[in-house]
Amino acid sequence: MSPDLSTPQPPSKRKLAVTTAIALAVAVVLLATVVLPAEYGLDPLHTGAMLGLTALSVPPAAKAVSIPPEATEFKPVQDGPIGYYNAAYKVDSAELKLGPYEYLEYKYRMEKDASMLFSWSASAAVAHDFHGDPGTGKGSEHSYDKKDRQSSSGTLVAPFAGMHGWYWENPSGETITISLKSAGFYSSAMEFRSDRTRRAHELTSLKSSPETGRNESK
Amino acid sequence: MAHWKRFSVILIVLFLCAPTMVSAHGLSSKDAQYLQLIDGAAIFPLMYLGAKHMVTGYDHLMFLVGVIFFLYRLKDILLYVSLFTIGHSITLLAGALGGIRVNPYLIDAIIGLSIVYKGFENIGGFRRFLGFQPNTRIAVLVFGFFHGFGLATKLQDFSLSKNGLATNIVSFNVGVEIGQLLALTAVLIALSFWRTRSGYLKHAYLTNSLLMCAGFVLVGYQLTGYCVAKS
Repeated sequence: MSPDLSTPQPPSKRKLAVTTAIALAVAVVLLATVVLPAEYGLDPLHTGAMLGLTALSVPPAAKAVSIPPEATEFKPVQDGPIGYYNAAYKVDSAELKLGPYEYLEYKYRMEKDASMLFSWSASAAVAHDFHGDPGTGKGSEHSYDKKDRQSSSGTLVAPFAGMHGWYWENPSGETITISLKSAGFYSSAMEFRSDRTRRAHELTSLKSSPETGRNESK
Repeated sequence: MAHWKRFSVILIVLFLCAPTMVSAHGLSSKDAQYLQLIDGAAIFPLMYLGAKHMVTGYDHLMFLVGVIFFLYRLKDILLYVSLFTIGHSITLLAGALGGIRVNPYLIDAIIGLSIVYKGFENIGGFRRFLGFQPNTRIAVLVFGFFHGFGLATKLQDFSLSKNGLATNIVSFNVGVEIGQLLALTAVLIALSFWRTRSGYLKHAYLTNSLLMCAGFVLVGYQLTGYCVAKS
């Protein structure tokens, strides 16, 4: 009746018990030495540290999201309709290549109420999420605009201090180029990619005028 | 002789690599981000993700290897795989559409247990200890239910848009079946090559013990995850 009667007589109880015990023991050893250190950073026998496996257990988000320190000169002091800053605004332009199905995030460090102007366009439509992250932990991101777009222009007044910028994802098999231009009171720019690399972008301070070619940003 | 050695080496390597190849709860972060962005019906992407989840889902595959290990006739294979399909489709649809939430760690631990069960059954453990063989068809169906809840939790981990939800879930389910068919074909080809060797039956015992061991690892892995997430 049952199709798996290929072994006419099942093995002895003793043999079965020993086999099960060995299977369980091997499983426990694998769990303790390899799996738990790599997955959860639990390292009872210190084998994870020895083999460098515990590094795997740190979630990528925790590695990627470290917010640069507060920059007080980019905090506006409001006087009527005018917000004054203790520093000149910065300008930035970036050409970003997105390989097939890759995604990247490009974000600026902004203080609360700081402003920026932006324009970006892509060579083809991309999945897109314009958002901010106060860096208070996983899931702390706030979405401002989340839909497929090929270009967008606008202004942003940061609703809170943190990293503000774009998530772009290439939904196609072709490489897409995104060009972004912006100006604003932000202190740094950071690019995060799907391969978990991160890169700080050099920002141009307004004082380094193209005529003189001198860079006086301090 | 060299073949079974090679096979068990492959099994061990695959199984050791598996947690790094596939993220803990199934879908890679890129796909996860995609799922959260879609708004409306996306039939083919969801089908693709379902198929991908099945082809790279080592837990479902190990269970299927256990199920078809001693099945030689196509009729039997079709019967058992259909039971598994019916089982997991019911709970996948009921779970995802009906919003039944099951803890993903616990469900994945049960899926690990299903592999242990199948391995133990294949080495004749139940026949020896119970004196009879618990119905293998009912077991496959019941474990199919659990695998389906596991699949549902993968989808529920992402806040899918209400827009086109039913279409997307059904597409995912269809993809799961396509992926299962592809994976099953590959497994069957590998098994039938192996079956032509005398080593197959001789080492059936060892292979199924390895399956049990892998199942135990999954149980431990998921239960630890449950405790870590709780604390």
